[in-house]
Amino acid sequence: MDVNQYLEIFLDETNEHLQSLSDQLMILENEPENADTINEIFRAAHSLKGMAGTMGYKRMQALTHDMENVFSEIRNGKMKVTSNLVDVLFQTLDALEEYKNTIQETQDEGTNDNAALIQALQKCLDEGTGAAPAAAASTPEAPKAAEDKAGDGENGEKKWKNITLQEHEVNAIKEAEEKGINIYGCTVFIQESCILKAARAFLVFKAVEELGEIIISEPSTQDIEDEKFDFDFSLYIVSEEAYDKVEAAIMSVSEIDRVIGEKVEPAEILSKAASDEAKPAEAEQPAKAETPAETAPAAAGTAPAAPAAQQSGGNAPAKKGANKPVVNRTVRVDIEKLDVLMNLVSELIIAKNSLVSYSSGGQAGNNSNFNEQIEYLESVTTNLHESVMKVRMVPIESITTKFPRMIRDLSKKLNKKMELYMSGEDTELDRTVVDEIGDPLMHMLRNSADHGLESTEERIARGKNPTGSIYLDAYQDGNNVVIEVKDDGNGIDVEAVKKKAIDRGTITAEQGENMSSKEIIDLLFLPSFSTAKVVSDVSGRGVGLDVVKSKIESLGGDVSVKTKLGEGSTFSIRLPLTLAIIQALMVIVGGETYAISLGSIDTIEDISEEDVKFVEAKEVINLRGNVIPIVRLHEVLGLEVPEEQSDRMIVVIVKKGDQFAGLVVDELIGQQEIVIKSLGKYINCTSRMISGATILGDGEVALIIDANCLI
Amino acid sequence: MEETSLMNNEYNTTQYIVINIGDEQYGIDIKYVDNIVRMQKITRVPNCQEYFKGVINLRGEVVPVMSFRMKVNLPEVENTNKTRIIIIKLEQNAPVGIIVDAVREVVTLSDNSIDAATRSSTNNDPTYINGIGKTGDTLISLLDLNVVISEKETV
Repeated sequence: MDVNQYLEIFLDETNEHLQSLSDQLMILENEPENADTINEIFRAAHSLKGMAGTMGYKRMQALTHDMENVFSEIRNGKMKVTSNLVDVLFQTLDALEEYKNTIQETQDEGTNDNAALIQALQKCLDEGTGAAPAAAASTPEAPKAAEDKAGDGENGEKKWKNITLQEHEVNAIKEAEEKGINIYGCTVFIQESCILKAARAFLVFKAVEELGEIIISEPSTQDIEDEKFDFDFSLYIVSEEAYDKVEAAIMSVSEIDRVIGEKVEPAEILSKAASDEAKPAEAEQPAKAETPAETAPAAAGTAPAAPAAQQSGGNAPAKKGANKPVVNRTVRVDIEKLDVLMNLVSELIIAKNSLVSYSSGGQAGNNSNFNEQIEYLESVTTNLHESVMKVRMVPIESITTKFPRMIRDLSKKLNKKMELYMSGEDTELDRTVVDEIGDPLMHMLRNSADHGLESTEERIARGKNPTGSIYLDAYQDGNNVVIEVKDDGNGIDVEAVKKKAIDRGTITAEQGENMSSKEIIDLLFLPSFSTAKVVSDVSGRGVGLDVVKSKIESLGGDVSVKTKLGEGSTFSIRLPLTLAIIQALMVIVGGETYAISLGSIDTIEDISEEDVKFVEAKEVINLRGNVIPIVRLHEVLGLEVPEEQSDRMIVVIVKKGDQFAGLVVDELIGQQEIVIKSLGKYINCTSRMISGATILGDGEVALIIDANCLI
Repeated sequence: MEETSLMNNEYNTTQYIVINIGDEQYGIDIKYVDNIVRMQKITRVPNCQEYFKGVINLRGEVVPVMSFRMKVNLPEVENTNKTRIIIIKLEQNAPVGIIVDAVREVVTLSDNSIDAATRSSTNNDPTYINGIGKTGDTLISLLDLNVVISEKETV
């Protein structure tokens, strides 16, 4: 079973969720109304259920499902937290813990159904929701609640009668009455086959708002937006239009089953809304302001989802993205790393103290002592930075483990034989980067599987191994991490890409003639460019490589392609290892200070002007057998070349992979730790050779030269 | 919604910072002004748009600075001790500095003292003005900052 490799993660996360659940439950018992806690619990329960489901632990899933139901009711305010309930919930947690332990030992969840617990939960649920109105009886809304309950039977589907009105909603109704505007109550039923309920509901809201105004909805707009409702919702509407028209507008939204509603007499609603001598003034304004404000986010959330669903036959990934719970992003840290950090911090304090004693001691003449302290401080901060970066580093393993499974699925789906070989999964990257590269990598693997590899028959015909190979290799290269996705498929047919580009009008035939094959391959990274002849489930829609590219670039990396027709292609992602703080060499060029990342520097050479030779009209030097092109920074930085040149020059040799270049600078200042700041998006550096800026000790800004762009 | 709540005032009033460029006076909506700083050392950024003079360090933040004169195709002048950098912050965007000859004053203009900008049909240059404000007998050209600081522009 290939779920085994996830088992550890599953157990880890289950532990974490169970721990969080029991902690939060404790809090909840003491503060039954704490909304944050309830939300937190709900999230944890929900993730737990999802994970159990994915791992195929049905019993565990069933139990968490029932538990989640209970939390859902609590969250919606339909149930009160009682100590009895908390007891049952704790028992549930114990049972889940048991499942977890069984799984840990035997990889199986065992056969205990915990039916009694499920029943107990169900009972709590029934009692809880039934008891809610009764519990509310102590509040001033009591008479109405009772009435609602009674009315429930008679009115059946006229659920709008159950809506509880708040003061400003009552005021809004009164206001409408005074103006002689009609008030309607209605309940909208969405077809049970509907997939995007929230989107439909949103369209209904929109349709209604064109004719009038929604005073209140049940469930609340927020819940509807989050799809937390069954297949119906109820509204109170004020509108000058006739009811028929409103109903017609609602029915014009597709997938609406039926609408039940009627004109309601304001007096009727108002009498329900308790014996209130409503306060004037705040009247309509707040109510008005609230409805659009609430529906606006709904618009943002659901609008894109709706068309997408129509196109692709509707699963709702967009929707899911919108409700993604805010989970704490955590990094599991080796306790040793924390110990090191702790030590460094204490050293930092010692260093600070000695500086303090130095300055208060008045031994101003003792410069060497002062410098000593500065050096000490420097070594501490450097180590501190390194350790903090290490804490943030996680192996890319956490995302690559799901790939073999994905390839296996793809292999079945595409009916191609393929095998995934991975290496370097222990390569470490910053946590934020690792989180972000999962999707791009998946895209690239799918690409290789779908477009790269030929069908099995074709491979046999070409005398290749019928099973295609895809390689995912990760390794560290200087200050970068390189991840390569390689396949032994057909490679990229440059001519086909060119033809396609010309057909699509991306380039003209003339341009096509003059482009190098590398330039043509780069066309693949343009938005909506796909060479697959048939659009498949897997890929071919043309949203892929451009997304990959923009994602990687946003992380400060780049993507490149190598391909050989008939033999396969390699996509390489190059990502910076560290973010924010780097070691850099400070240099002076034409009176300006620049920083060059130490990671890309190979050596620094003192070269005589005579050693510069010309190859293809370009300046090169021959350094210990390597021919290295020379880049005169004065020229690329748009500075005037000084007239009197000495015959010696300082050349900083930088490397990118196995390529080298020599940067000619005027003067070296020295090595320094710099904090990278972005230049912002307003300034367009055409050559992209400036990767950012940093602020020097004297407050001046120095630019950082991206040596990779000069090679 | 915002407009309705302001309806009662009959005319909206807006505060503008009045700046000098040569003999002309321009107004910048005060709500976009983050800060006004004296001229300081600007670090040149090679190969960028010509009107960007470079970047400055504004309390630990790297802020790009553009020359208003170059942006509107006026000749450059020497910096004087009246030269200022106005740090503009458009809603969520990162701050940008604009170099101006001098900062004069803050005026409050009501809607009825602002005329729509006139545009000659023969001139196709982009217009940076979205209105002309009158205060006393001086005219103030009100800058449309969204046009002045547009990201889309290329070199």
